Amino acid sequence: MAKILIPTPLRQFAGGNDTVDVTGATVGEALTALTTAHPDLRKNLYNDAGALRSFVNVYLNDEDIRYLSKDATPLSDGDTISIVPSIAGGR
Amino acid sequence: MLTIEKAAWDVMVAHAEATYPNECCGVMLGKGKTVTRAKALDNTYEGAQEDRYEIRPEDLLAADREARKDGLDIVGIFHSHPDCAAYFSKTDLENSCPWYSFVVLSILKGKFDNAGSFLPNAEQTEAPEEELIWPKS
Ligand SMILES: [Zn+2]
Repeated sequence: MAKILIPTPLRQFAGGNDTVDVTGATVGEALTALTTAHPDLRKNLYNDAGALRSFVNVYLNDEDIRYLSKDATPLSDGDTISIVPSIAGGR
Repeated sequence: MLTIEKAAWDVMVAHAEATYPNECCGVMLGKGKTVTRAKALDNTYEGAQEDRYEIRPEDLLAADREARKDGLDIVGIFHSHPDCAAYFSKTDLENSCPWYSFVVLSILKGKFDNAGSFLPNAEQTEAPEEELIWPKS
């Protein structure tokens, strides 16, 4: 069992929960379990092509999964998955 | 409507003025649409920072953990526009996310001048302005 931390603005699409417990062998399976249980989250996290939106980063504990094995990153019991946006700008 | 309490506002203005003529950035914590705490974050943009900022995702992750620990939420993101108006630029829009209020502080000749708050959409095509209340003293 792993835990996914839901950012405040997305909790309304996750039954009001700030964390959701999921089972899965990989981060990808855990995210699929999350969006299957809470389908309204899907359009907030993924674009129409089914890819994570450009501003969405997924962290397993303290590591960006992009630098691990992305969706195939294996999950261990007690792991925490965080959804962290990319933010930049200018004038 | 977004309301920023004085303790948080003072941190934001001080950070924006101290980093002038570069852009600053940071995160706003609170409850609902009220900001009670602001945290200055590093501008990690690699290049000239007079007109660009970038937030390290790990810093946002740390801010989210702090918020959860203290029973708060991340309410928004702030950054400054040195010698430029408080508007939401094309660069801002293209690098935003739709989940938060984005407050822009205009700093003219090193001093705070004005501010605005914006709500970007998921497609990063528009960011309507919302009413922003900050301490006027
Ligand atoms: Zn800007």
